[in-house]
Amino acid sequence: MVGIATIALATAGCAGSGDDSTDQASNGEPRTLTVWLMNGSAPKTLTDSLNKEFEGANEGVTVKYEVQEWNGIQDKLTTALASQDPPDVIELGNTQAPSFAAEGVLTDLTGDVDSLSGDQWLASLKASGEWDGKQYSTPFYAANRSVIYRTDMFQEAGITAAPTSRQEWLDAITKLKAKFGSDPQFQALYLPGQNWYTLLSFIYDEGGDIAKKDGTDFKATVNTDQAKAGLEFYKQLLDASGTTAPKDNDEQNPEQAGIYGQGKVAMMIALPWELGTAAKDNPDIQTKSSAFPIPSKTAGKTAPVFQGGSNLAIPVNSKNSDLAKDYLKLLLSEKYQGQLAEAGMVPGASTDLSALDANPVSKAMAAASKNGKAVPATPKWATIEAGQNPLKDMLTAYLTGTKDLDTATGDANTALDAAFS
Amino acid sequence: MATLHKTIHTKVPAGATPPAPARASRKRRVGLGEKSIPYLLLAPAVIVMLVLLGWPALQVIGISFRKLDLGELVRGEVVWVGLDNYTAVLADPEFWTITMRTVLFTAAVVAGTVLAGLMVALLMRHLSGAVRVAVQVTLVLAWATPILATTTVFQWIFDQQYGILNKTLVKLGFDSFAGFSWFSSGASTMTVIGLLIVWQAVPFVCFTIYAGLLAAPKELYEAASMDGASSWQSFTTVSWPAIRPLVTLATFLSVIWDFKVFAQVWAIRQGGPDGESTTMPVLLYLRGIAGRHFGVASAVAVLMILVLLVLTARYLQLLLRSREADVS
Repeated sequence: MVGIATIALATAGCAGSGDDSTDQASNGEPRTLTVWLMNGSAPKTLTDSLNKEFEGANEGVTVKYEVQEWNGIQDKLTTALASQDPPDVIELGNTQAPSFAAEGVLTDLTGDVDSLSGDQWLASLKASGEWDGKQYSTPFYAANRSVIYRTDMFQEAGITAAPTSRQEWLDAITKLKAKFGSDPQFQALYLPGQNWYTLLSFIYDEGGDIAKKDGTDFKATVNTDQAKAGLEFYKQLLDASGTTAPKDNDEQNPEQAGIYGQGKVAMMIALPWELGTAAKDNPDIQTKSSAFPIPSKTAGKTAPVFQGGSNLAIPVNSKNSDLAKDYLKLLLSEKYQGQLAEAGMVPGASTDLSALDANPVSKAMAAASKNGKAVPATPKWATIEAGQNPLKDMLTAYLTGTKDLDTATGDANTALDAAFS
Repeated sequence: MATLHKTIHTKVPAGATPPAPARASRKRRVGLGEKSIPYLLLAPAVIVMLVLLGWPALQVIGISFRKLDLGELVRGEVVWVGLDNYTAVLADPEFWTITMRTVLFTAAVVAGTVLAGLMVALLMRHLSGAVRVAVQVTLVLAWATPILATTTVFQWIFDQQYGILNKTLVKLGFDSFAGFSWFSSGASTMTVIGLLIVWQAVPFVCFTIYAGLLAAPKELYEAASMDGASSWQSFTTVSWPAIRPLVTLATFLSVIWDFKVFAQVWAIRQGGPDGESTTMPVLLYLRGIAGRHFGVASAVAVLMILVLLVLTARYLQLLLRSREADVS
C-alpha cells in the first residue's frame, strides 16, 4: 500500500520552480522545445510540417516532439510537471484541464488570447480552459458522438432518410427489427448501459444539465425533471433497441466498434474514428456506413452533444514559455487548424468546418458540434472521471431496475455534490 | 510387535522441532574484529532495506502531515498541516464503512484461500502419480497467469449477456439468471472479486502446505492406519502437527496480501457500484492518484498500516517471542 503513495515521493524531492533568468536565452543559442501531444490527435503529416516550419522560423531551435498515450497520462503529467525540466507544450483532455488550471501549474495565457486566434475559438473548449476568470489553456480540437449506421441495412428495411427526430429514430429501430429480427444476433442499435456521454445528450436535449455553476462552485442537477426525462428516454431507447450490450458496463468494455465490425449491428452512437476501428476487422463496413447527428425530441433539430476534446497549455515551470507561445500561435493558425479539419476533427481555433463535409461521418459530427457542451468546468471533474463516475452507477441502477427513477437520480445527485465539494 | 510398541510411544507432536540444546555454556573471548564480522556481512542487506523500504515509509509518514496537491508538488512547497489529513479521513463516515468492509473481505478471502489450499493439498497426497502431476500443473498455471489476464477471464465469465456462468445457469433451469447482472450490487461484486482472489491465491498456499505434508514421515501414517485410526484422527495426529507452522505462515502472508490487494478490485468495477466494493487500497488510489491529494492519501496509507498491524498482531507477537523458527 505504500507503493501507491510513494509514486508521489519519487517526484516530491525533485520539484523545482522555473528559473526566470534562463527564460529568455539569447538568439542563436541552441534551444530545445519539448512538445507533448497525444496519440491520435494531430496526424503525423501535420506535426512534421509544423515542426519543420517552426524550426525554420526560429534559428537554433529544435523541437523535441513526443507522442503520449492517453492511458495513464494524468499520472505522467503530474510527474512531468513537477520535474525540473517539464515539457514546454502539453495537450490536456478538456475535462482534465480545469484541475490543472486550478492547481496553478499552467502558464496564464489571458494576455495572449488575441494572438492565439482567440476570436475563432470553440466556445465549449474555451470555457474548459478558463479558471477563475483567467485563460490557462487554449482549445486544440474537439469531437463529438453521432449515430453511425449501416446504409445498406437502412435501405433493405425501407428507411429512406436518416432520422431527424427521436420518433423517427424509434420508428427506424422498429423497421430494422421487423426486417432483420429473425437473426438472434441482430441488434438495431448497440447501446451499453453506461454510455454516459449519450445520456448527457439526452439530458441537454430536455433542457437540463448535470450541474449548475455558481461562481467557481458547482451544484449537481441530475435530480431535476429534465435530467430524469433524459434518463427515461435512454431507457426507452435501450429497451426498444433490442441491444444485448451489458447494462453494467460502458462502450469500451467490450469495445463497441469491434461489435459493430462483426456486421450484425445497424447503429452505434460513436466517435467518427470508431468506424475506422470497426473497419480493421471488416474493411467493407466503411463504405456501407454513414452517420447522422443524434436526433432531438424536437423534429428537425439535432440534440446538443457532449463535446470531448483537447486543450493546449504551457506548464508554469517551462523554461521556454516564449517559444512555446510562438509554437501555439502556429499550431492554432488557420493553416494547421484546416489540416486538423481535413483529418476529421472539429478544429478548436477555426470556425471553418467545410473540410469536414467531405466525409459523411465527419459531416454528421460537424453538424452536431455547433450545439456542443462540455462537462462542468470544475477541477473536481477530473477526479470523477479518473475515479468513480456516479452517472454510470445511476444508469446501471435504473436500467437493471435496482433503483427507481427518483432514487437513482437522487443518489447520483448526492454523490456528484459530494465530489464537487 | 516391537515396531508397534515403538509407534505408540511416538505420539504427537511428530515432526515438531526438538527442544533447542541448552545455550553454549562454554564462553570464549572473541576479538572486536571477529565480533563485528557478522554485522559487516549484514550491513549491505540492512542498508538496502533501509534505503528502499525505510526511507519511503518515513516519507509517507512525513507527507501524511503535509498538504501536498499537484500545485505544492510542482512549486516544491512544503506545507505542514498537522493532523488535518487524519481528521479529514477519520471524520468521513465512509472511511469506517470501507475499513470494516476491507477487514471482513480480507477475513473471508483468507479463510477461503487457506481452507481451499489445505483441502487440495490433502487431496494431492492421496492422488496417484499422473493425476497428481496434472493437478500440480493446473495449479501452477492458475498461479502463473498474470493477474489482469485472470481478471479479464473472470469478467467474461460473469458478463451479464455473454457470460458462460449465466448461460450455464439458464441451461440448468435457473431462468432468472438470464441477463442477471453480477455487478449491480456491492455484495455480489465483492463475492466475484473474492472468488477471483481466492482462485489466484490457492496454488501458493496449497504447495506450501503440501510441502509440509511431504515432510511428515510415511511410517507415521502407516502406523496410524495399522492402529485403526480414522482419517480424521490421522489428520489431527499426524498431518496437522507437521503442517501447522506452515498453515500459520500461509495465513499470515495471505492476510497481508489480501488486505492490500488493489489491481483486481479496481479492474473489476473501480470500486463500484456506488462505491460499494471500494476497499482501503481503492480509497488510497482515489485520494492519491485520481484526486491528487497526496497528503490525504499518505494518511490513508499510514492508517492502513495500523489496521494491518492490528490484524497481524498475534502472529507478530509469536514471531518476536520465539527465538527459534518455530512459530506454530
